[in-house]
Amino acid sequence: MSHRDNKKFQMAFSRILQHLALAWMFLNAGPAFATQGHGAPEGLYVHQIAHMFFALSMGILIYWLRKRDLVREIGWRYIQYSALFFILWNFDAFFVHLLEEQLQIIQVSRVGPWHIRIQTPHDFEWLRELYYLAKLDHLLCVPALSFLYAGMRCLLKESDANASGSTLP
Amino acid sequence: MIFSAVPIRAVDLIGSVLMILFPFLCLRLVRQIRERNPNNVIWTYLLWVCYALAVFAISRSLGHILKQILMLAGYDAAWDIIRPLSGAINTLTFSVVAAITLFFERSWHIYQQILRDQQALKTAHRELLYMNQNLEQLVETRTRALAHSEKQMAQADKLASIGQLSAGVAHEINNPLGIILGYTQLLLRNESPDSERCNDLRTIEKHVRNCKSIVERLLNFSRSSKPKKEMVRVHEVIDDVLNFIKHQSNLDHIDIEKDYDPKLPPMLLDEKKIRQVLVNLFMNARHSVSSTGGSIILSTRFDAENHAAEIRIRDTGYGIEQKNLSRIFDPFFTTKPTGEGTGLWLSVSYGIIKNHGGDISVESEPGKGSAFTIMLPVVTEYEEIG
Repeated sequence: MSHRDNKKFQMAFSRILQHLALAWMFLNAGPAFATQGHGAPEGLYVHQIAHMFFALSMGILIYWLRKRDLVREIGWRYIQYSALFFILWNFDAFFVHLLEEQLQIIQVSRVGPWHIRIQTPHDFEWLRELYYLAKLDHLLCVPALSFLYAGMRCLLKESDANASGSTLP
Repeated sequence: MIFSAVPIRAVDLIGSVLMILFPFLCLRLVRQIRERNPNNVIWTYLLWVCYALAVFAISRSLGHILKQILMLAGYDAAWDIIRPLSGAINTLTFSVVAAITLFFERSWHIYQQILRDQQALKTAHRELLYMNQNLEQLVETRTRALAHSEKQMAQADKLASIGQLSAGVAHEINNPLGIILGYTQLLLRNESPDSERCNDLRTIEKHVRNCKSIVERLLNFSRSSKPKKEMVRVHEVIDDVLNFIKHQSNLDHIDIEKDYDPKLPPMLLDEKKIRQVLVNLFMNARHSVSSTGGSIILSTRFDAENHAAEIRIRDTGYGIEQKNLSRIFDPFFTTKPTGEGTGLWLSVSYGIIKNHGGDISVESEPGKGSAFTIMLPVVTEYEEIG
């Protein structure tokens, strides 16, 4: 066998080996796990993070309103109060979700149509009343929206009073 | 522990209804505000906040109302199916509200920038309009100002050249004059006071002294001597000069008005020389109004921005003819008859003021009077040392 024939034989042999390896890989394929799975707790985490994000954005709004001295005007001052109530509402909602779903310290069950039973571990009995109050979260988010409404009304009045149409300093 | 569910349900239901109501009321108001000023980016921002809040309120409140209804009706299992979807939509909507809220600062910044640009545009428009309407007048004013400043520069150049020439001539003549005066005084010592020769020598001495004083004035004009500066209250100097002139000449029929700026601070000046300038200018003014009567107005003004003091001596006399105005500070230029004036005093005043780093100018209208204005830099002692 000449040197040239020898080289040709080696190349053909290596090609056959490559094809065999490829065929083996296809025949022995298993699950790739390329996409991450999302279990139930993730939704709760996203919701809680969203509450904190909402509170943070309202805090930033208050910061800018104060920094730009806009709170001197009654309309913007009401909007500032609205942002403050939204912050309180977010903390309240975060607290309720934390007790109820995340830490599972509180168990609530219905006792007939008009009563509920709130159960806590022995060490956390003091939390029951606090949880009950925190459940009334509309007492925070409704004032937030009513302050926003009052702020808008003032801005509209000032806008009407100002011939140029701008009430901004 | 058992609690009543009524407060929770009542607050939840009523609160949910109000939560739907308020964002729509806010939306209505913002739309009204925006209609009044549609170009205001802040109202657009608030409109978007209200839209996002309205979507959030609907999704949340409808979820809560549905929950209460289903639970009261005993369909707890149905609520358990809807609950994750309602929660997910809630999360999404209030995240959008939070995200939009974060744009407040940027929106505000853009709004301020728009306001500034609008203001700049308005100003530019006003200026353009004014220029369009007054183009001819503006060109004429500028041309006149340019011609005036060219004339002033030419005069300053001319006076500088004359000054150089005068300084050269004065220096050359001063030495021989000194020698002549010295020898004359030596000869006078040996002469008896009643002799004719002594009288001749005295005549020579008198004329040599005259020549020397002319040479001295020429040297003052050419600014060859450095002023000896000290802190001076200009108003006091002007008042001194006035008193001196009142003693020397009759000012009875001349009305003298003073308008001093109390803010004018003490200045670092060569008092003797400034006094000389004021005497020269005041004598000129007095001469101008002496025949017809009239008034001389002395005024000062402090220009804090440019650190300069203005001293103005205005008379209501016969004024200076236009053709003479450009030559008024030339040495030996005078309109007085021969023998009444050397024509050097105004040149000397010019030299002194220039030597103080200031400027002197004249405005005049024949028949109405003249006004000499001196501008001097206000230099305090501290600045001079610094």
